[in-house]
Amino acid sequence: MKNILSFAFLFFSLQAVAQRPVPADGKPSRILLLNATAHVGNGKVVENSAIGLADGKITFIMDARGFKPDPRSFDTIMTLPGKHIYPGFISTGSIIGLSEIELVRATNDFRESGTINPSARALIAYNTDSRVIPTVRDNGVLMAQIAPQGGLFSGTSSVVQLDAWNWEDAAVFADDGIWLNWPSMRTFKSPWSDPEDEQRERMQKSLATLNRQFEEAAAYADATDPLFNPHLQAMKGLFDSTKTLFVRCDFAREILEALALSERYGIKLVIVGGADSWRIADRLKAGKVPVIIERTHALPYREDEDVALPYKLPSLLRDAGVEFAITDQGFWQHRNLPFQAGMAVGFGLSSEEALKAITLSPARILGIDSRCGSLEDGKDATLFVSSGDALEMTGNHVELAWIAGREISLDNYQKALYDRYRTKYGLSPR
Amino acid sequence: MTEIKLLPSFPADLMHMRKILTLFYTGLILPVMTLAQDSSPLEGLSDVREQLTIIRNVDVTTEPGKTIRAAELRIQKGKVVSVGTPAALPPGAVVIDGGGMHVYPAFIELCSDYGMPEASATSGGSGRREASRNTPVRATSSYWNRAIHPEFSAASVFQPDGKRADELRKAGFGAALTVARDGIVRGSAAVVLLGDGQATLQIVRAEAMMGMSFDKGSSGQDYPSSLMGSIALLRQSMLDRNWYGQPNLVHDFNVSLEAMHAKRNLPVVFDVSDYRSALRAVRVAKEFDLKLVIKGSGDEYKRADELAATGASFILPLQFPKAYDVSDPFDALNITLADMKHWEAAPANAAIMALQKSAVFAFTSDGLKDRKEMLAALRKVARYGLDTNRILSALTTVPARLAGVEDKLGALRPGMVASFILCTKPLLDKECVIAESWISGKRYVLKEADTLEIAGRFALQLDTLKGYTMQVSEDRTAPKFTLKKDTIEIGVEASQNGLQWTLRVELQKRKGAYRLNGMYDATTNRWSGIGQDPAGRWISWFATRDGAASVPKPTGKDSVVRDSAVQMPSVWWPQTAFGWDKAIQTIPTQATVCFRNATVWTCESQGKLMQADVLVRDGKISKVGALSPDELKGVRVIDCTGKHITPGIIDEHSHIAINQGVNEGTQSITSEVRIGDVIDPDDIDIYRQLAGGVTTSHLLHGSANAIGGQTALIKLRWGRSAEALKFEGAPPFIKFALGENVKQTNWGDNNVSRYPQTRMGVEQLYIDAFSRARAYERSWKDFAAGTTKSAPRKDLELEALMEILNSKRFITCHSYQQGEINMLMHVADTFGFRVNTFTHILEGYKVADKMKRHGAGGSSFADWWAYKYEVIDAIPYNGALMHRCGVLTAFNSDDSEMARRLNQEAAKAVKYGGLSEEEALCFVTLNPAKLLRIDQRVGSIKAGKDADLVVWNGHPLSVGSRPVQTYVDGICYFDIVRDEELRKRNESERQRLIRKMSDDKQQGGASQRPTTTLREEFHCNDMEHLPH
Repeated sequence: MKNILSFAFLFFSLQAVAQRPVPADGKPSRILLLNATAHVGNGKVVENSAIGLADGKITFIMDARGFKPDPRSFDTIMTLPGKHIYPGFISTGSIIGLSEIELVRATNDFRESGTINPSARALIAYNTDSRVIPTVRDNGVLMAQIAPQGGLFSGTSSVVQLDAWNWEDAAVFADDGIWLNWPSMRTFKSPWSDPEDEQRERMQKSLATLNRQFEEAAAYADATDPLFNPHLQAMKGLFDSTKTLFVRCDFAREILEALALSERYGIKLVIVGGADSWRIADRLKAGKVPVIIERTHALPYREDEDVALPYKLPSLLRDAGVEFAITDQGFWQHRNLPFQAGMAVGFGLSSEEALKAITLSPARILGIDSRCGSLEDGKDATLFVSSGDALEMTGNHVELAWIAGREISLDNYQKALYDRYRTKYGLSPR
Repeated sequence: MTEIKLLPSFPADLMHMRKILTLFYTGLILPVMTLAQDSSPLEGLSDVREQLTIIRNVDVTTEPGKTIRAAELRIQKGKVVSVGTPAALPPGAVVIDGGGMHVYPAFIELCSDYGMPEASATSGGSGRREASRNTPVRATSSYWNRAIHPEFSAASVFQPDGKRADELRKAGFGAALTVARDGIVRGSAAVVLLGDGQATLQIVRAEAMMGMSFDKGSSGQDYPSSLMGSIALLRQSMLDRNWYGQPNLVHDFNVSLEAMHAKRNLPVVFDVSDYRSALRAVRVAKEFDLKLVIKGSGDEYKRADELAATGASFILPLQFPKAYDVSDPFDALNITLADMKHWEAAPANAAIMALQKSAVFAFTSDGLKDRKEMLAALRKVARYGLDTNRILSALTTVPARLAGVEDKLGALRPGMVASFILCTKPLLDKECVIAESWISGKRYVLKEADTLEIAGRFALQLDTLKGYTMQVSEDRTAPKFTLKKDTIEIGVEASQNGLQWTLRVELQKRKGAYRLNGMYDATTNRWSGIGQDPAGRWISWFATRDGAASVPKPTGKDSVVRDSAVQMPSVWWPQTAFGWDKAIQTIPTQATVCFRNATVWTCESQGKLMQADVLVRDGKISKVGALSPDELKGVRVIDCTGKHITPGIIDEHSHIAINQGVNEGTQSITSEVRIGDVIDPDDIDIYRQLAGGVTTSHLLHGSANAIGGQTALIKLRWGRSAEALKFEGAPPFIKFALGENVKQTNWGDNNVSRYPQTRMGVEQLYIDAFSRARAYERSWKDFAAGTTKSAPRKDLELEALMEILNSKRFITCHSYQQGEINMLMHVADTFGFRVNTFTHILEGYKVADKMKRHGAGGSSFADWWAYKYEVIDAIPYNGALMHRCGVLTAFNSDDSEMARRLNQEAAKAVKYGGLSEEEALCFVTLNPAKLLRIDQRVGSIKAGKDADLVVWNGHPLSVGSRPVQTYVDGICYFDIVRDEELRKRNESERQRLIRKMSDDKQQGGASQRPTTTLREEFHCNDMEHLPH
C-alpha cells in the first residue's frame, strides 16, 4: 500500500485555484475505494462497498464486509465511510461546450442557418476549454451528449466526456444521432400569434419537407454510388441503425407522427421532451421508444393539467414501462441535472430510480451502456464521491471524481472567484 | 309542360299592407319627415310632406313593459303624435294597415363608429397598425401623445353611410352613438339617427359622450406599449386637463387640453378588452370623477357582483364564442377549460349581470359577424331567464338614458322621434322578423314578410272555361302557379313585372298556350286580367280566392314561440381549471386552527422547534410552541406529526399575474406606470405557486429602462379579485434597472440610439432625473407657501421620483456588475436616499462591503450565470458571501417555474457557501420580508404575524419535499387532497363541456377548430425577448 489518504487532506489539496483546470494525465492508477455507499446506477445500492479501479475500468464492486484487500494490488486505497459513490451523471441533448454566453453571438455554435442541417456536427464545435464545463462537472455530471438545435433537422450529436484536451479526446461516441424538431401540429391564439390558417399552412409545409427529406434520404442510403449530398449522406446511418433519430416534441400528435415515421423506415427513435408521452405510453412501450425528459423543473404545458405533472412524468413513464432519461436544457444549467432527477423523488420515483434516469438509462438510450452508466465490473471508471446524497442540494458535494480512471480536477472559475472574495473579506472557508 | 322560374323583381307581398298598394314601391320614396329645419338653400321645387301618418292594426310597445294591443300609432313631422286605441280617421291622413305586427321603439347602438371617416393618410406615423384604423386628423397644437385626442368631435366629421345604416337598421337599430374607435382619449361621440338623409338631419346629440379606451390605436408613437402605460397616460392627461383648466393660469395653447377641459362633464363610454380592464377603467373614473359607461367584452359574469357594485353602466356584446370542434381527443386536450367554460357562460353574461340588483346594462351588436344574428342572440340571452322587458330596455330606454337622449329616443311617447320597428311576431319569438324600420318618420322596408299575400287557392275562370283551381305556392322568390282540375295538374309559367303578372299555360299539350296578363287585388282577394287564347283571341280571366283569406288577422294575443329555458352555467372563481366552485367549496374562511406536533422552522431566533404547535386565530399566528389542553379547546387540530411548517415563501422578484405587458420599455424613465394597475387575479400561476409554498409575490416592472414602473406586492389569495390580492399597507416600491437591458445591448441593430447606450449615460440619466424631481418638489413647496399662484402641473413621473427622494418609495434595482451597483449607491448618497434592494445583484459579492455600508440589501438567483455577458462573473457563492458580509440577502425567482421551488433554491445556499439550513431558509422567507419592509406582518412564524404558513411533507430544503397545505391569512388556499378533488372536478367538467360541444355540433351549431389560447408569461424584459 503506497498511501492511504485521509479524506480531509485530499479535499483541501484540491482547493488550488485555476480558471481552467488542467485535464488529468492519461495514466490511471490502481485505486481501491472502501466503505462508501455505492449507488450502482441500475437501481441497486451497496451500502458498504469496495470498488476497485484499474486501467481506467472498474475491476470489481462488492460488499466491503469480509473483503480483505491486498495492498500491493493498489496504488491508492481510500477509506470513505459515510460517503456516497455514484457513476458519473450523463447529460443528454445539451449544448455544453457549444455555447459560452447565451447572448454573446460569438460564443454560440449550436444553431446552423436554414432548416435542413443533419450534417452539422456538434462534436467539432465542442469547446473543451469552456469555463462552464468544470462547473457542471463539479456537481457530478461527467459525460454529456451534445446536440445542435434549431431548424427542422438541427444536426448531428455526439457523446463526450467532460475532461479533455480537445474534441477528439473528448469523444465517447462520435456522431451518435440526428436531431429533428418535429413541426408543431397545433395552433395557437393570442394577440401576438399569426392567424391560425397561416399556422396550419406552415405546419403542412414543414411536414411535407420533413417527409420528402426522409424519402430521399432512404433512397440515397439504398443507392450504390449516389452523387454526394451532405444532407442525405448525414442521415444514412439512420437506416442501418448506426445512428439514432432524436426527435424533439412534446405533444401526443407529434409523438404519434414521429413513431409512425420511425416504424415506416425502421429507424431507432428517441423522443426528447415528451410532455404528453405518458398519454400514449402503450404505443411507446410497444415500439420500445424511450423518452428523454427535458426538465422536470417545468410548468405544465396546459393550464388545466395537474400542477405537478412535470414532476410526475418520470414516475408515470416508469409505471407504464417506458424507458426514460432525465436531462436539462441549455449548457450551464446542466449542473442542476442531479436536482432535475431529484425532483421526481418526491413524486413517485425512488432515489435509485431517479439516479438511473441520469446514469444507466441515458447510457442505454445513447447506446454506450456497455461502457458507461453504472458501477459495474468492466465498465469505465467514470464515477465520483459525494459527501452526501448527490441528488439533494444540501448533499451534493463532489469531493473526488474520475473519468475513465483519471482523477479529474474539481476546480473551476467560480470557486476561484469565491476564494478570491472570501479572502478579501477575511471569511473562513465553509 | 316546362316551367320557367322567374324572380319577382320587387317585393310583391308587403304583407298585410293591402290597402295602400302604392306603398308597394316605396320604402325609399316616402316623404322625408324632418326632425328639424334645414339651413341649406332649396334647389328646384319644395317637397315637404308633413301629412299625418297612421299605422293601424298594430300592437305598440311604447316602452318596455307598456304595450297597447290592436292600437294605432300616429306620427307626423318625424315625431310621435299619439299611440292609442283606434279613433276616427281624420281626413288627409296616410293610413297604413300594420297587419297585426308588433311595434317597438327602434334600438339604440351605443358602440359604433358609424359614419366616421375611413383610415386617413394624414394620420402620420408608420406601420400596419397605423394604416388599418380610422384616424381623425389631428391639430399640430394637440397633446404630445397622439393616443389622446379629446378635440375630436364625431359630429363634425359624421357622414351618413347608407350601407352600414342599412345593416344596423336590419338589426332593429334606429340610432347610434358614434365616435372613431381609435386611441385612448377618443373625443366626443355623437348620437345620430340611422336615416339616409343629409347629415345635419341625423344628429340628435352632437356632444353626447367622451370615448375612451386603454388601446392606443393607430398612434405610431411607441409610448405607451403596455396596458399599464395606457393607464398612466390616461391619468396624466386627466391631470393635465385639471391643471390646464385652472383659472388665471398662463400656459401655451393646447387644443387637446382645451377640448378636454370643455368636455369634462361628458359621460365616458369606455371600451375595454375584458372584465379586469373594466375594473381598471372604474378605478380611473373614480379618481377623476367620471360618469362611466363601459363597453364590455362579454365576460363580465366572471365578477358580476364586483362590477355591478361599481356604479358603472355596461354595454354588453351579443357576440358569443362558437363551440370548439372537439372531435379529436388530442386536439380537445389543447382547449383550455377556461375557454370551454366561457363558451358555455358567455350567452348567460347578461342574465348573470341582471341578478345583481344595481346592474345597468345596454346591448350592442358590435362584434357580431352578421348583425342579422342579433335577434337569435337575444333569444339565446332570454333562455337564461332574462325577461323581455329587460332585454328591450337594454336596447332602448337604457342606451337612450346613457347617451342622454331619453327625451327623444328609446320610447314612443308623444313628441319623441318617430323611430320604431315593425316586427312580424313579438320580439323574442323564434319566428320574429323585423319587417320595417321607421327612422324619424321615414319608412325602410327591411325584409319581406314570411307569407305571400298572393299565395293560396283560387277558383279560375278563363274566358268561359270554369272548374280549374289555381294554386299559388308560398315560395317567396318564385311562387309556383299550378292549375288543377280533377286529377289533372298543369304547371304555369309565371313572371312578374311591376304589379302585373304574366302567366303562360298549356291546357292541352302541343295545342298552344294561353298567354295571360293580370294583377292581384289584395282588397278583393281577386286576380283579374286579360290575355290571348292559343288561337290569338283576346279574352278576359279572373280568379277568386277559395274560402277565407289566408292573411292573418291580429288576435290581440300572441302565442310566443320561445326557445326552451336552460340552466344557468356554473361560474368558478376564477373561471379556469382549479378555480373555486360553489359546488365543492366556496373560498374558505379563516378558522381557528392548531397545527400540532410539527417541526416548526420559525425563521426567528428560536430557530427550528421540534414537535411544536402553531395556533392560528383570525388569520394571525396566535401562539408558537407547546399548547396546553385548555388552549386547544374548541380549536380544530391538524396533526402534523412528521411534517414541517415554514413561513410562507416570499418571492421578491416575480412577474406572474400581470396583464398586457410587464415593461413600459419605450422610454428610459417610466416611473408613472404601475404594475398595481394591471394585476391579473385569474393567472393559473397563482395557484401553481401556492402549490410550491409561495404566499407573497412582489410583482415587478421589467428591466427595459433605467427607471421602470411602480411595483405591486400581492398575497396569493387565489380566487379573489385583483384589488383583494394587494398586500394592504405594504410600502410602495419601484423597479430600477442597470446594465445591458437598459442600454439596449441585446435589442438588435435597430435600437442603438435611445439614451443611454452606455453605463456612463445611465448615471447621468439618474442624476438628471432626481435633479428634476427636486426642482419639481420645490415648485410645489413654493405653491404651498403662496409664492406662486397657480398649482404646478402634476407630473406622475416626477411624483414617484419625489417619493424616492423622501424615502416614501423604495427601489429594487435590477443589477449585475459591481461598477454600476457602486454608481447607483453613490447617486443615492448624493441625493440623500438609500437604495433599498439590488435584485439579481450577481456581482454583489464584489461590493458586499459597500452595500453593507450603504444599507442596501440583495435579492439574487442561487446559481444562474452565463446567460449574458454581464453575468460572466456570477457565482453561486454570491448569496452566502453577501450574507456573511452582513448584507440582507434573499433569493428570488423572476420565473414562474422556479418560484414553485424556491425552497430548493434556498437550499443551494447550503451547498454553495455553507450556510446553515435555517439561514438558507430565511433567504426565501424572513429576508425578503425585511427587504420588502413587511417583516412586521410576514416572513417568520411568530405570534402576531399573519398566518401565512406552509405545511411540508418533509424537510423543506429537501429535493423531494412538497407542500401539503399552504395558508394565507390563516386561509388554506392550497391543499394537496383538495387539489386531487379539483383535478377530478376539472376533468368531469371538461368531459361535460366536450359532450355539450359535441352535441352542439351534431345539432348544426357553428364550430371553430381547436386552438390553444396562449397565456401571458413574463420575465424581466420579455417584451424585448431578453432573458433577465
